[in-house]
Amino acid sequence: MKLAGYTLKLEKKASFTGLEAIVISVVAILVALFLVGFIFLQAGVDPAKGYQAMFTYAFANPFGAPLTINRAVFILLSTFAFIVPIRAGLWNIGMSGQLYFGALTAFGVAYVFGARTSGANLSGAIVIPLMIVGGAIGGGLAGAIPGVLKGKFNTNEIVVTMMLNFIGYWVVAHMIKEGGPFMGSGGEGEGFKLPASIQAPIVSGVSVLTLVIALLLAVLLYVLFTRTRLGYQIRAFGLSPAAARYAGISPFQIALITFVIGGALAGLAGYHYFGTTPNLNQIPKNYGDFGDMAFYGIICGLISQGNPLAAIPLALLFGGLTSGGRYVQGKLHLSYGIDYALLGVLMITLVAFQFFFRYRVVFKKES
Amino acid sequence: MWEFWVRSLNASTIFALAALGEVVGQRAGVMNVGVEGAMLFGATIGFIVAKTTGSLLLGFFAGIAIGAVVGLLHAFFTITLHGDQVVNGMGIWILGFGLTTYIGSPYAGPLGMSRIPTISGLSPFFIVALIFTVAIWFVFFKTNWGLKIRSVGENPTVAEVSGVNVVRTRYWSVIFSGAMMGFAGAVYALDYNPVWSYNMLMGWGFIALALVFFSMWNPYILLSGAILFGALWQVSLNPESLLPHIFSRYIWRTFPFVITIIILVIMSTHWFSSRWGAAKPEALGQPYEKD
Repeated sequence: MKLAGYTLKLEKKASFTGLEAIVISVVAILVALFLVGFIFLQAGVDPAKGYQAMFTYAFANPFGAPLTINRAVFILLSTFAFIVPIRAGLWNIGMSGQLYFGALTAFGVAYVFGARTSGANLSGAIVIPLMIVGGAIGGGLAGAIPGVLKGKFNTNEIVVTMMLNFIGYWVVAHMIKEGGPFMGSGGEGEGFKLPASIQAPIVSGVSVLTLVIALLLAVLLYVLFTRTRLGYQIRAFGLSPAAARYAGISPFQIALITFVIGGALAGLAGYHYFGTTPNLNQIPKNYGDFGDMAFYGIICGLISQGNPLAAIPLALLFGGLTSGGRYVQGKLHLSYGIDYALLGVLMITLVAFQFFFRYRVVFKKES
Repeated sequence: MWEFWVRSLNASTIFALAALGEVVGQRAGVMNVGVEGAMLFGATIGFIVAKTTGSLLLGFFAGIAIGAVVGLLHAFFTITLHGDQVVNGMGIWILGFGLTTYIGSPYAGPLGMSRIPTISGLSPFFIVALIFTVAIWFVFFKTNWGLKIRSVGENPTVAEVSGVNVVRTRYWSVIFSGAMMGFAGAVYALDYNPVWSYNMLMGWGFIALALVFFSMWNPYILLSGAILFGALWQVSLNPESLLPHIFSRYIWRTFPFVITIIILVIMSTHWFSSRWGAAKPEALGQPYEKD
């Protein structure tokens, strides 16, 4: 292509630097926000004012900021659930199913201790850690299904994980609705509420315990990928499954391990959101909305290029976009789902920008 | 019993139309895992256009057109920009899911137009799906056109050398593929269940995607699979008539998804593929780059 005496050429990149990755990602997010500005315009709202209201609520409002952080932890854990398999080249889009199963097993632990009926005198020091472990196990088992099927039969993991999302959705409905074992006393089709004794500690509206766990996991996963043999094997498999097989890496083990870890992390996300956030402490009627929010994990995982530390600021941004999005929707009388629109536009913009990770645009002066 | 079967066939129509679209794209070597997204676009835009103009016909055209645009988008990203087909498909799915939630919400609720006439309950679109099945099979295996489509999906380099324009063939296949998905979505929203609700397709696009893997890329097997799934879906909605008091109605809803996984696993076993051969297009999923 020629432009004003310059030739525009595309050159294939062999690799990209960390700085390049950051620049491309930031530009992609800005472009997405710019595009969503048109949605604001179409709804008769000044985009600058819309975003200002959104970000102020999300990051500087005493009600909005804790909500943002709780959602960010949820998105961060969902991101990890996506990242671990994707580093091995495997697609886990089953975060929502895994988090439903994780939430069910975590609440199952509370149920076993009798939390549904009485539970006033339960010991939080015992039940809360068990609920966390329970959530991870439930999610991990749900993750083991696509892991085994992929590893053993090379079954398409995208379809399997997606099918499990719907299976999980209906199993939760069975458990909490119409006389299901986890139904709350109100009989309104929501799960039972955790008694105060086993509610996780809350500091200024933020669930600190799961926040700390999520941050520790970020470091742990970073170490796993960069410093351990298993992390090396996962990455090698992701780069070239055939070469990895020659090097003696078992595809079955890699698929199983990455999906179990991913599922367990999603299970923690389920415990975190339903089990610890204030005003919730139960599986709510609209649990499907939170399951769908887990799809931010895909975007966050792709932008962060599988780097768990880079995912932290991104999760915070997306947490803010969802909590702020909901807020401006009510405040500026937008129709439902501006945060969903953002999710979609962000994803496709990001996909378009993948191009710049593989090519560089070069201008050359005509000689 | 008749009613059960017509409801099943009506549901299978939608699975079949979407999956036939995907088969055409995959035969040309381009996978689109975002079937659900393209269908959501077709359903939502078709629904809105029909509702605002009062014309079902315009609604269908709009659904098909937006599907084709989504196909074009996928073609541009994967063929021209050599993007990863799975990543792009995911992008299309999430874009469709997110954007249609926002666009459709103001129109939530029933369409409120007279229903499309049926043949004692059977949707006329089932006949359309039958015609498409036969036509696509005929094009694939009996025409020069089909040979071109299959050759760019099997070995694009060889196809190019023998004079086939790989890029153009793939583009048209993927655009057609998107149009079919948009059409399937429009049939859902204007005929099968004319009520707009949040994420209304509830995984049908992903089942259609799975159907393509079951079908060994053959339109006839694909139609049979679609009919099987239409019936499964009906059983899961009304289990009491067949097998009363076994599971709660929610557990029954998991049924088609569980069966999808089971069949998918059977199809991917060595036992199965060694007997029925791997019909998978050789170059599926690989970007084509001329050197």
